[in-house]
Amino acid sequence: MHLKGITVDLKSGLYRTLSKDELGSFFEGLKRHGSVYGPVKISEDSHAFRKVDDLAQMDLGYTRTLIPPKKFFIKPREDIFLFDEEEATFKEPPPDQEVVVFGVHACDINALNLLARVFLEDTPDRYYRERRERTLLVGLSCVPDENCFCRSTGTSHAVEGFDIFLNDLGDKYLVRVGSMKGYGAVMDGNLNLEEATQEDLGKYKAAEAARDGLFKRSLDVNGLQTYLDLSYDDPLWKEFGDRCLSCGSCNLVCPRCRCYDIKDYINLDTKTGGRNRLWYSCMLGDHGLVAGGLNFRPTTTERIRNRFNCKGSLREGLPNCVGCGRCTVYCPADIDYVEVMKRVRGEEP
Amino acid sequence: MMSENPLAPRRAEVVETRFMTEKEKLIRIRLLEEDFASDFRYGPGQFVKLGLMGLGEAPISICTAQRGREDLEFCIRNVGSVTRTIHRLSKGDTIWIRGPYGNGFPMIQMEGRDLILIAGGLGIAPVRSVLHHVLLNRERYGEVTFLYGVRSYDLILFRDEILDLMRHGDEKDVRLYLSHEDPNDKAFKELACEMSDRCTQGVVTKLFGLTGGLSGESAAVLGGPPNMYKFVVNELNKLSINPPNVYMTLERRMHCGIGQCGHCIVGTGKSIRYVCKDGPVFTLWEAMNMRGLI
Repeated sequence: MHLKGITVDLKSGLYRTLSKDELGSFFEGLKRHGSVYGPVKISEDSHAFRKVDDLAQMDLGYTRTLIPPKKFFIKPREDIFLFDEEEATFKEPPPDQEVVVFGVHACDINALNLLARVFLEDTPDRYYRERRERTLLVGLSCVPDENCFCRSTGTSHAVEGFDIFLNDLGDKYLVRVGSMKGYGAVMDGNLNLEEATQEDLGKYKAAEAARDGLFKRSLDVNGLQTYLDLSYDDPLWKEFGDRCLSCGSCNLVCPRCRCYDIKDYINLDTKTGGRNRLWYSCMLGDHGLVAGGLNFRPTTTERIRNRFNCKGSLREGLPNCVGCGRCTVYCPADIDYVEVMKRVRGEEP
Repeated sequence: MMSENPLAPRRAEVVETRFMTEKEKLIRIRLLEEDFASDFRYGPGQFVKLGLMGLGEAPISICTAQRGREDLEFCIRNVGSVTRTIHRLSKGDTIWIRGPYGNGFPMIQMEGRDLILIAGGLGIAPVRSVLHHVLLNRERYGEVTFLYGVRSYDLILFRDEILDLMRHGDEKDVRLYLSHEDPNDKAFKELACEMSDRCTQGVVTKLFGLTGGLSGESAAVLGGPPNMYKFVVNELNKLSINPPNVYMTLERRMHCGIGQCGHCIVGTGKSIRYVCKDGPVFTLWEAMNMRGLI
C-alpha cells in the first residue's frame, strides 16, 4: 500500500466521521478500490452480499446474510491448481480481482479473524492471503435481533480485522481505521471525512451502550469446554441427533465453519483437469468415512455432538462460534444453537 | 512460489512395486524435484499425501526411516479409488507427493528406554519406520520387543524381513513375536514348531504371555486398528507402563494434512485436535483426555 500524495498526521486519522449525506460519495469513492459487494435483500427474509453499483441497492439495516462473507476468501468451489496430464505439469489459477466488501458486521469480522488464523498462520494459504490483500473490508455497526448472541461470545465488537469500520451515530458515522489500506482510503481527500471530535467519541460510547442493551439472547460460554466434555455421553445428543436432518446447512451458513473437501476433476479432453477445494460439512454422513468403509462418525448423534464440541472449543485460541445466529435461523429442523448449549450446561433453555 | 500453495504436490517417480500380499503392495518412490528432495526431512510415524492427477490423494505412512536422500517406501493396501490406481502403477510412472505431515513418534523422548513395538495388520507400516530408526541408532535405545499380529501367514507384511528378524533379531537385541488368528494356518504351524517361544495362535495381546518380564519403564509404540488398542492398553496397564509413555498412531479421514479441512477432527470442547497435524501419534494420556479417540 503506497500513500502517494497523502500526508501522514501522527495526531489524527484513525477516528474520523462521515456525514450520512456524504455516504453516497463515500460509496462512489470506494469503487476505486475494486468492485463493491454489499448486503442486498434477496427475498422476504434473507440477504446476500452481492455486487452493487449504487448505494440504494444495499439494505444497510440488514441483520445477517444467508451466506457469510467467508465466501470472498474461501470460495465454495475453487481450483487449487489446474493440471495437464500429457505435459505432467500443473499451474495455479491467476489471482482474483480487487474487491470492496461493504457493510460487514462485527460478528463476521471476528469470524474472519479466526479463519485468518487457520489459513494464514502455520501453513499460509496463498489464495486466502491474496484475496485478503485484494479486499478492502468495510465494517458496519448493526442492531441485534432476537437470534443474535454475539455479546455472549465476545464478538459483538470488532477491534481488528477490518480496513474501515462505520459505526452509526445517528446523523453520521464514526469511521474507525483498522489497517494501512484503510488509512490510505480514508485519507483520500475525495471521501469527505472529518476528524472525529470528543463529542463524536462520546456519542460512539453511548451508541454502543444502547446497543448492548438490545440483546435478547444470551449464553454463558465460560467453562463451556468442560461442560461439553462431561456431556459426552449425555442423551441430549441423541435427542437432537434424531431431529437433525444431516443436511449441513448449519455448516454452510456458519461464518467460522471452514471444513473443506479436496476433489479432482478431469475435463472432456481426458488430458486436463484440476484439483478443487470445496466447502464441506461435518454433518454429512461421509465426513469421517475412511477408505475401506470405516466411519468414525456414522450417526447423526455423533456428528451433531462433534459439531457442537467443535463450536464450543478454543482450538484456535478463539471461540469457534461468533453468535451470529445463522445456524439457528436457517436450520430446517429448528435446532436452536443456544438451546443446545444451554442444555449442555444443564440450564433451562 | 509453489511453496505458498501448501496443497500443491511435487513430482516423484515409482522405482519399484512389489506385491507383499494379495491386497498390499510395497511402492518405492524417488522425489524428482531437487529443491523438494533436498529439503525433505521426515521422522518415523509421519505420513505423506500420495496422489494422481485427476484421481485424488490418500494419506499414507512412510514405512522407512531416513538416513539421507534414499527412496521412500510405502506399504499400500488396495482399499479405495486412489490406492487401487496406485497399485496399477509400474516402474517409471509419475506419482505426486506432498508432506511429510504429522508429528510422528517422539524418537528422542524414547531414547534410553526399552521399547515395546506392537503392530496389527497394516499398522506395521508406521511401526516399521520406528524399528528402522532404532536399528539405525541402535545404541540410543534399550531392548526391543516387537509383537506383530496378523490373520494368517499369507498376510504377514514385509514377510522376509519379519521372519529374518524373528530368527536372528536377538543379535541386534530385538525379540520379535508373531501371532496369527487363523487356527488352521499350515505355514504358521510349521513356523510355530520351529519357533514355539515366539509364535502363537490368537490375537496380538496373547503374545504378552510369551515375552516374560517387560519393564514398566519401557515406552510402547502401537500401530493397528482402534479395536486392538483397547486390548493392548489393558496389557500395558498390567505392566505398569505410564500412559504418557504409550504412543499410538491413529487413522482418520484426512484431506489437507495441515489441520485445515476438518475431516480428521477428534476430541471434545476441551480437547479438539486434528489427527493430521496434532497427531497422528497420541499418547495414552492424551487419548484419556480426548473422548472417542480410541
